[in-house]
Amino acid sequence: MRRPLALPYLFVAPAVGLTALFSLVPLGMLAYRSLFGGGVFATHLSFVGLQNYGNALQQGGTHALQVTAVFTIGFVVLTVGLGLGVALLLDVKLPGLDRLRAPFIIPLVLPGVATALIWGDLFAPQFGFVNRMLNLVGLQEADFTSNPSLALLMVLTFGVWQFFGEDVILYLAALKSLPLDILEAASVDGAGPWLRFRFIRWPLLRRNTVLILVITALTGLQTFTQIDILTNGGPNGATTTALFYIFNQGFIEFNTGQADAMGVILFLISLVTTLGLVGFLGHGTVRDA
Amino acid sequence: MHSPRLFVSRALVYALLGVAVLVVVFPLVWMLGTAIKPNTQILDLRASLWPSHFEWGNIVKAWNSAPFGRWFLNSVIFSGASTIGQIVTSLMAGYAFAMYEFRFKRVLFYVLLCGLMVPFSTIIVPVVQILADFHWLNTYQGLIVPNIASALGGFLFRQFFLGLPYELGEAARIDGASEFRIFLNVYAPLAGPIIAAFGMISFLQNWNNFLFPLIVVNSTSMDVISEGLSVFQGQFNINYNLIMSAALITIAPILIVAIAAQRRIVAGITLGAIR
Repeated sequence: MRRPLALPYLFVAPAVGLTALFSLVPLGMLAYRSLFGGGVFATHLSFVGLQNYGNALQQGGTHALQVTAVFTIGFVVLTVGLGLGVALLLDVKLPGLDRLRAPFIIPLVLPGVATALIWGDLFAPQFGFVNRMLNLVGLQEADFTSNPSLALLMVLTFGVWQFFGEDVILYLAALKSLPLDILEAASVDGAGPWLRFRFIRWPLLRRNTVLILVITALTGLQTFTQIDILTNGGPNGATTTALFYIFNQGFIEFNTGQADAMGVILFLISLVTTLGLVGFLGHGTVRDA
Repeated sequence: MHSPRLFVSRALVYALLGVAVLVVVFPLVWMLGTAIKPNTQILDLRASLWPSHFEWGNIVKAWNSAPFGRWFLNSVIFSGASTIGQIVTSLMAGYAFAMYEFRFKRVLFYVLLCGLMVPFSTIIVPVVQILADFHWLNTYQGLIVPNIASALGGFLFRQFFLGLPYELGEAARIDGASEFRIFLNVYAPLAGPIIAAFGMISFLQNWNNFLFPLIVVNSTSMDVISEGLSVFQGQFNINYNLIMSAALITIAPILIVAIAAQRRIVAGITLGAIR
């Protein structure tokens, strides 16, 4: 094997260099600067230890983490559940079903700001579709932007609508790759759809489920556009997730130290979520990396 | 004996999927209906949900009320350059990591893998600090350069090239082809389908990226279409028909791309999940 000296380095340099400069260096800066006081453009930083973390957690950060937990868990359960359900239906051998896959990728690829405006209109007070329907069936109108639980429900509904198509596609691809002969054999032996799912498909899908859970959880943790457009984190912090808190502290309030502290916390949560899911649920699955 | 039950369960599959498709598509239908509603019908509870006559002029009015042309241009520049950059850098890095042995290969590859583990949203504050130090805020290079490397792309192309036989290049090597020619003429063309799938997903992600341009850009003339749309919403507040017209203008081109390239998008989504 001939070994050209410079070529491999030239080839990997842009990708590795830029990844280092715009992912790893910022991560280092984040961790380092979370221990210092001073604004974005401060020339003199003063070491304050863990004070930024304390301030962040006391001034809305704890609440933001709770909102993140509620939102992300709800988002993952609904998105993965719906994704699997629709994928199982699409996997049934019936004429025309292969053409029904396309609609589910549409919300996924549309700009989040545009779809957020649509959902804002659907949930608008008085004249929005949802309130007109509530009116029609004789229920009281609901104000989705000023009631904390309803605001979170609105953001969650929209988030699930936008992203569950990804889980449909991933589960469908996984279902298509399952060995048909086992399923047919079970069918011949008299196993109904539920038994075939519970004892054949579901165990075989285990590795895919772990990956889908990781991808969906990371999407949930990084939800931003929906919240920024629909509720701007409100009412009274009810939809301020950890990411929205970072954005607010970093770019609106200019409390860079607190934003960095929350950045470190969100990074650790993402890392632990990924490794945790792979570690616990992925136990015994083969990873070929 | 089986057939009535079979008929019912089949009908149930179609019915459930029909409902799901309806839920997915309905907001878009609502958008269209509101966009072409006459002014007199938006704030009138007695008016029907669907407009009584279509006011197509709303869309023209929305287009003329804001610099949509400039915003689209910015989006094309930002997403086009980022996507091409991601394809080129990932293809080269993936190829080198798969095909060559060199010193520090392991370390350099781990740097790339670590990039996969850092969600961009957690590091937005220091990234802006770096861009400010470069005096790159509110510039095209500030939007594009941080977006050019894709750890996922590098990883995907490495996996792809690892699966190709080494002998392909060896034959060309005996014929005296340079290493760069072997890459460009022998191996890179084989990656066509994976380039298309990865490029499609990368383009859509860049086009729909809202958070990053939001923190880098601070002038209307540099805004990409997503930012522009949110600026538009701030100005027209409860003119629902104009806002929905603006949303329609934003959505239309990407909807056409999505329908035309659905196979590639599906391939890209599945590809991105193989980690």
